[in-house]
Amino acid sequence: MKHYLDLIKISAKQHRKQNRMTRLCIVLAVFLVTVIFGMADMEMRSQYIQAVKTDGGWHAAFVMDEEQGALLGERPEVKEIARYGALNYNLEGGYQIKGVETGICGFDKEFQEMLPDAEILEGTFPETAGEIALNENAMDRLGMQIGGKVSMTTPQGDARQYQITGIAKNTALTAELDAFCVFLNTDGFLALSPEGTGAAREMLYYVEFRKFCNIQKAIGEIRTQFELEDAQVRQNTKVLMLMLQTRDSYLLSFYLLAGILAVLVMIAGIFMITASMNSSIARRTEFFGMMRCLGATGKQVVRFVRKEALSWCKEAIPAGVAAGVAVTWALCGMLRFLSPGLFDGLPVLGISWLGAAAGILMGLVTVLLAARSPAKRAGAVSPLTAVSGNAGTVHAAKRAAHTRLFKVDMALGIHHASGSKKNFFLVAGSFAFSIVLFLSFGTLIDFMHHAVTPLRASAPDIAVNVGSEEMNRIPAEFAEDLEEYPGVKRIFRKGYAYLTMPADGKDVVLISYDERQLRMAEDTMVEGKLSEVLDGKGVFSVFLEERTLACGSNILVTAGGKERKIHVSGIIESVPDVLNPSVDTLICSEKMFRELTGEKGFASLDIQLEKDVTDTQVQEIRKAVGQVCGEDYDFSDKRMRNQEVRGAYFSMSVFLYGFLAVIALIAFFNIINCIGMSVSARMREYGAMRAIGMSVGQLIRMVTGETLTYTVFGVIFGYLAGLPLNRFMFRTLVTNRWGEAWSLPGWEMVVIVFVMLASVCLAVLNPARQIKRMTVVETISRE
Amino acid sequence: MEILRVENLSKVYGAGEARVEALKQVSFTMERGEFGAVVGVSGSGKSTLLNCIGGLDFADQGKVFLSGRDLFAMGENERTVFRRQNIGFIFQSFHLIQELDVEQNIMFPLLLDYKKPDQERVDEILEVLGLKNRRKHLPGQLSGGQQQRVAIGRALITHPALVLADEPTGNLDSQSSQDVMELLCKASRHYQQTVLMITHNMNLTASADRVFQVSDGKLSELGGVCK
Ligand SMILES: Nc1ncnc2c1ncn2[C@@H]1O[C@H](COP(=O)(O)OP(=O)(O)OP(=O)(O)O)[C@@H](O)[C@H]1O
Ligand SMILES: [Mg+2]
Repeated sequence: MKHYLDLIKISAKQHRKQNRMTRLCIVLAVFLVTVIFGMADMEMRSQYIQAVKTDGGWHAAFVMDEEQGALLGERPEVKEIARYGALNYNLEGGYQIKGVETGICGFDKEFQEMLPDAEILEGTFPETAGEIALNENAMDRLGMQIGGKVSMTTPQGDARQYQITGIAKNTALTAELDAFCVFLNTDGFLALSPEGTGAAREMLYYVEFRKFCNIQKAIGEIRTQFELEDAQVRQNTKVLMLMLQTRDSYLLSFYLLAGILAVLVMIAGIFMITASMNSSIARRTEFFGMMRCLGATGKQVVRFVRKEALSWCKEAIPAGVAAGVAVTWALCGMLRFLSPGLFDGLPVLGISWLGAAAGILMGLVTVLLAARSPAKRAGAVSPLTAVSGNAGTVHAAKRAAHTRLFKVDMALGIHHASGSKKNFFLVAGSFAFSIVLFLSFGTLIDFMHHAVTPLRASAPDIAVNVGSEEMNRIPAEFAEDLEEYPGVKRIFRKGYAYLTMPADGKDVVLISYDERQLRMAEDTMVEGKLSEVLDGKGVFSVFLEERTLACGSNILVTAGGKERKIHVSGIIESVPDVLNPSVDTLICSEKMFRELTGEKGFASLDIQLEKDVTDTQVQEIRKAVGQVCGEDYDFSDKRMRNQEVRGAYFSMSVFLYGFLAVIALIAFFNIINCIGMSVSARMREYGAMRAIGMSVGQLIRMVTGETLTYTVFGVIFGYLAGLPLNRFMFRTLVTNRWGEAWSLPGWEMVVIVFVMLASVCLAVLNPARQIKRMTVVETISRE
Repeated sequence: MEILRVENLSKVYGAGEARVEALKQVSFTMERGEFGAVVGVSGSGKSTLLNCIGGLDFADQGKVFLSGRDLFAMGENERTVFRRQNIGFIFQSFHLIQELDVEQNIMFPLLLDYKKPDQERVDEILEVLGLKNRRKHLPGQLSGGQQQRVAIGRALITHPALVLADEPTGNLDSQSSQDVMELLCKASRHYQQTVLMITHNMNLTASADRVFQVSDGKLSELGGVCK
């Protein structure tokens, strides 16, 4: 021992067990912060992976001619460059194969790496101008083989022959539009484009920039160099955003959220560490008094305590970071397991350096902040305490317990909790704090349910819509028959009709729902009665941000040449069936629809498929639909889109629910920590009580009484402060935008109280074990 | 009437080099109303003996009978309840409960039985202890001697058959020590309780009926001085 601070190591050895609580708090704080940032990071990565999957890995694209393109390719920050052009994307331009309008994409081979949609499933990419790749859709419907020949007519009237070299992937878009699409190489594409127009030689130059270059700056420079207009520059916004290359609010709000939560965790951590250090210092008052007796200055004692706290960080911070990284791994593993295909790119054992760094930094700051007041307290211990002998009692009581109102063990427990006002408010306050956190962050889940629309239960895998001429021409029987097809799970049929309101000449759209759909719609009902709509006595009006037909009002419409009065029985939130958000949309039962319009058929079928549906089964369905609907109909395969929606929703859920879990965890550890501390601080007293004749059961009841007192008041305070906050956040986040009114956040309230009660049970368990194991003799003679 | 019987009590701490035979084959009995004092040099095993008799600690060998009941044969809970009803403890460093006032501290063992304390009895004890005008004080507001008197009151409230005191005067000045001794004598003379007290102060053994000496874990009886 060379320096007085060396005493820390010696004393740490002696007090290892007592300091365990404090070290655990540090581990916990670091762990939580690491997980929070790690999760935010992983969420970003998975979003990035998804964005690259759907939108491609390109960063920017420029419309320019060949000469400019060559110059662009020479810029140092450009890693990869590829030309791309498209013709007939609106499928009205007159490029046809066997009479079917065909979209044409021409690009360099390198482009495939930048856009996953440009993938060749089978065969090879066209090498020469005379070669072509057809998409799956076209191959199937034309019955073509690789190596076969196909002819395409151009608007100019000439037919061109191509040799098929490969099958191009159906993109989400082409699948949804049910369209033909072909890939040509750039030469072939240029040869095809209408001659003479100057624009013919201009193509989109897709660029992928090198790592670590400032993309916005590079784009700016390129624009000035080539004097490009706004319209000539395109950016892959989502990917750039996720690379933190744009200043987009969505992403920042994500990290902001993580930041806020981290600060809250830090506050909770400071609470916990301060409390446990305070108690450890109170227990060692005599020791500090002794140090002062021996000539240490108050400052030296302060330094001693602070140094001691930092010495715990040496083990606690790495442990916390390690645990945080492990949990992040587990979460990533879970995502990959639950939704393979979507999250394949997620690194299983990726380390979020951001998370680790945030954890370490927050840990140190937390400990330093937390150590301030205990250190001051230790510094203020007077040398007298060492000799006066009244030290060692942690909480000098100021008033007596009420032994008349409760049984003595309960009374003492309650008194232990409430005896010191300051301590009581600190502990109950920290319990309440976690409830407030939980309730206010709980609104984010509601927000998510509205903002990132999950796949609705009624979301179709395949949507069939007939053209607008004779709208409701799908017969009811066919819809029922189709439901029996292999691979079909269920079908929702809908009729559409335009009605006019004679009052102001405005249109309203009337949609018919079957009973199942109406019942599903009830989930998003803002107000009103479902039964009236089911009985055909009224309609639902769809919520619009500016104006909504009021619930309970009657509106006059012209239907089938007659004026009819319709009663609005309820308001539901926006549904995807709304054709035009500026037109009022009403939803009614099939019966009412028939009465009003006289139409017996349906305009649209939403088909939901079984999980294991095969492509041939889908083809069968298409054939059947084609026979009934004739020429003019849309057959839109939404499975891929749905998958994307599901994935986005899923990773968002994991993130947000993860946040809530973290908060619950804070509540849990806080309770365990508080009770554990309180018990270990009073162990000596408990020993004395045992000596006098208190039984183990009575002691445990006493601890339970103490815990329950904190919890009951914590819950009350928490609700009192948390519910108004919850209401406020709900109103700003949800009500303003989607109209759903605030109601008591039932499940949040139940879940957090349940977590707290479970924590209380666990919190009492450990002290109970300690009390049972405690030997009376040692406890009372220890000093 | 025989209240306490100790048979062949032995206790060993540690092993090897650190092995200490704290008690070696200790046997003795005490009658109702007897006042015994235990003396001996520091580390001779006095506290160990008292803790074993009181059921706070366990002996390796031997038996302790209190009012004919084998202390070590009882279950943990049973022993606790038996202890609080039949044995009163007094410690060198008081061990009062900080949250309870004087009166509540004294009633505490009764409260643990969920019994309604007999107010007359409490008043009587407060009177005897000379703490009547301190009944609402918290332990922190009392002097050492007063605290020890409260502890004695707490030990006597249940009318225990046996009162065990481990250096009850160790922390007190001579006047307070005298008070404590008087109270303990009163307990044995007036209430016919058996008292066994450890002390370092040979002067205090004067008021004892019997004096035991512990040396190196062995117990021997010195000729007591009877008043
Ligand atoms: N928990 C323990 N572990 C090991 N040895 C112990 C333990 N408790 C007591 N001893 C030893 O047992 C012997 C008797 O201890 P005891 O406390 O009974 O002495 P004592 O006579 O009460 O001394 P004093 O007068 O100083 O209080 C001592 O030598 C002590 O070192
Ligand atoms: Mg002793």
